[in-house]
Amino acid sequence: MRFMALFVGLGLCLFLHLWLGSGMPPAAMAKTFLDFDPDDYGHYVILYQRLPRALIALHVGAVLACSGAVLQGLVRNPLAAPSTLGISGGAMVFVVAGAVLGLGTAAQGIAALAGGAAGAGAAMWVARLAGLGLDPRGMVLILAGALVTMLCMGVANALLLSDPALRTAYLGWISGDINHVYADRLTQFWWIGWLAIGVLMVLAKPLTLIMLGTEKAASAGVDVRRVSLLGLGASVIAASSATAICGPVGFVGLVVPHLVRPFTGPALWRLMPVSAVAGGLACLIADLIAREAFSPYSLHSGVVLDLAGGLVFALLIRRHYLGAQA
Amino acid sequence: MKPARATDGQELVHFGHLQFRARHLRAGLLLLGVAAALSLVSTMIGVTRIGGSDITALLRGGLVDDAGFALREVRLPRIAAGFMAGWCVALTGAMLQSLARNPLADPGLLGLSQGSMVMILLLILFAPAAPPMLLPFAAMTGALAVALALVLLVGRGGAGGLALLLMGIAVETMLSSVTQILILYSPPDMSYALSNWLAGSLSGADPAAVLALLPWFLFSLGMAVWLGRSLSTYDLGQDLAMSLGENVNRSRPLILVVSVLLSSAAVTAAGPLAFLGVMAPHLAGFLSPASGRPRLILSGLMGAVLVIAADMLTRSVSGELALPLGLSLTLVGVPLFVISLRLRALKTLSNR
Repeated sequence: MRFMALFVGLGLCLFLHLWLGSGMPPAAMAKTFLDFDPDDYGHYVILYQRLPRALIALHVGAVLACSGAVLQGLVRNPLAAPSTLGISGGAMVFVVAGAVLGLGTAAQGIAALAGGAAGAGAAMWVARLAGLGLDPRGMVLILAGALVTMLCMGVANALLLSDPALRTAYLGWISGDINHVYADRLTQFWWIGWLAIGVLMVLAKPLTLIMLGTEKAASAGVDVRRVSLLGLGASVIAASSATAICGPVGFVGLVVPHLVRPFTGPALWRLMPVSAVAGGLACLIADLIAREAFSPYSLHSGVVLDLAGGLVFALLIRRHYLGAQA
Repeated sequence: MKPARATDGQELVHFGHLQFRARHLRAGLLLLGVAAALSLVSTMIGVTRIGGSDITALLRGGLVDDAGFALREVRLPRIAAGFMAGWCVALTGAMLQSLARNPLADPGLLGLSQGSMVMILLLILFAPAAPPMLLPFAAMTGALAVALALVLLVGRGGAGGLALLLMGIAVETMLSSVTQILILYSPPDMSYALSNWLAGSLSGADPAAVLALLPWFLFSLGMAVWLGRSLSTYDLGQDLAMSLGENVNRSRPLILVVSVLLSSAAVTAAGPLAFLGVMAPHLAGFLSPASGRPRLILSGLMGAVLVIAADMLTRSVSGELALPLGLSLTLVGVPLFVISLRLRALKTLSNR
C-alpha cells in the first residue's frame, strides 16, 4: 500500500513538473501529447523542454539511487554513495578533459565510465594506504573519496579556465544540472545505466547474502569475490553513465536508500526498485524546486540537491557515528 | 657545536641551548637549499629576460630597467608569497593531522578553506569597493564560523578524530554549493575572475600582498615552536597526551584557532591550495620521519618548496595555455606523493 503512495506521488510530481507555470488548463496540456501543434509555444515548451527535463530527472535519480543502495551494502558504510566514493568526481573530470580535447558526446560517455572507475579506484587506493584495514567502519574510505572528489573538482575547474567558450557550456554541468539541453546525452547513455541496473537486479540475491556476511554467503554457495567485484563494477558503471548525462548530481545516491530502507528492509531485491522510484521522485522534486522557487529565475538543480544532501549527510553522521558517544 | 647522541641513539647537534636531531637538520637544510635553487631558477622565467648578471646587479642595488621592475615588483613577491602560503597551508595540514589523528586531515577537507572562500566571494561580489585590507578578516570570519559550526555539530563527546573530519565534509559540501551559486549567477567576467581565483593563483602577489602575509608567517613560526611540543604528545593519542600532562581542553581549541588563522591567511594570498595540506606533511615525513616541532617545520618547508615549484611550472607554460596554480600543484605534487607511497610500501615489504 505504501508503495502505491510512492507511485501516486511520482505521478503527481510528474504532472506538476510538466504543468506548473505553463498557464494552460490540464486538458489543454494533455493535447500536447495527443495532438501536437508545432506552432503552439506552450506545446513546444512542454514537449521539448519539460518532458526531457523530467525524463532526465527520473532516469538519473533512479540509477544513482540504485547504485548508492548497492554501494552502501557492499562497502558496509552508511555514508557510501557515488558522490562520496569519488565515482561522480572521476567521471566528471574525465568528461571535462574529453571536452577540452574535443571529443564527441559518445566518446565523452566512454570517458565518463573510465573516469568513474578511476575515481573509485583512486579513493580505495588512498584509503588503503591511509590504513583502511585498521578502521572497521570504513570512515577513512569516505575521507579518501572526499579528497579525490575535491581534487577532481579543482582539476575540472582549472581545465575549464583554459577555454572560456567551453567554460560557459560546462559551468552548470560540472555542478550537476538537470536540464533539457542534455536530452541528447540521455538518448545516448540511458541504456548503459539500465543495463548495469539489470545486472545488479540479477545479482540482487547473492549481493544481499554477501551484505549479511561473507562467510554466510560463501557457505550458501556464492562466489563472494566474483559477485562483489561484478556488483561494484556494475554500480560504478551505472553511476558514471548517469554522471555523463547531467554532471555529478550529488547525494541522491546517498540519501534515498536511507529514506527507503526503513520501509523495505535491507534486501536488495526490494530495496533497489523502491529506491529507483524514490530517487526519480527526489530528483523530480529538486528540479521542480530549482525551477519554481525563485521564479522567474531558475536555480541549478544540482546546487539544490547538494544543499539538501549536505544537511542530510550531517544528520547521518550524527546518527551513525556520534550516537554512541552522545 | 658538539656531537652527541639522543636516547634512541641518533646523532644530536647543539647550537647554544637549542638541540636538533642531525637527521632533521640535514632534511631542513636540504629543503631550504631546494627552495633557494628553485627560487633562483624561477626568477629567470618569464617574458622579460633575466640572467645571472641582473640578479647580482639587483643585490648590489643598481638595477633600474625592465629587469629590475620585473624582479622587484613581480617575480620576487610571487616567490615570497608562494613560500609563505605554501608554508602556512602545510603547517595547518600537519597541525590538523595531529589533532584529528588522521593522515588525511586537510584545511580544505574540513571546510575551513571553503568558509574563507565564501566570505571572500561575498565581499568581492557585494562590496567591490571594499579595501583589500578587509579580505583577510573576511576570510578569517568565514573559517572561524566553520570551525565553530564543526565544534557545535560534533559536540563534546566525539570531538576527536574521524567524526570531526566527516562533519567537515558535510559542511564543505554545503558551502561549496554556495560558492557554485555565486559563480554561476554572477556576471560572466566577474564569474571568470572568481573561478580564476578559486583555482589558486599567485598572480595577485605584489609587494603589498607580501607585506600583508608576512605577519602571519612570523606568527606561524612562533606557533610552530610553541605548539610543537603539545602536538608531539597528540601524536601518541589523547589519553596518553593527557597523562603526559598535556592540558587537552586548553590546547585543542588553541590549535584549531591557529589552524583557522593560518589557513585563511594562505587562502587570501593564493586561493585554496587543495590537497597540499595532505601532501606536504606526508612528503616531509617520507624525507625524515619526525613529530612535534621538527615535523611542523619540515612540513612547512616542504609546502613552500611545492608551491614555488608549481608556480614555476605555471609561469613557464603561461604563453601556450593557462595552467592555474591548483592544477600545476597537482601535477607537481601527486606524482611525488604516489612515488613516495610506493617506496614506503616497498620498504615495509622488505623489512618484513
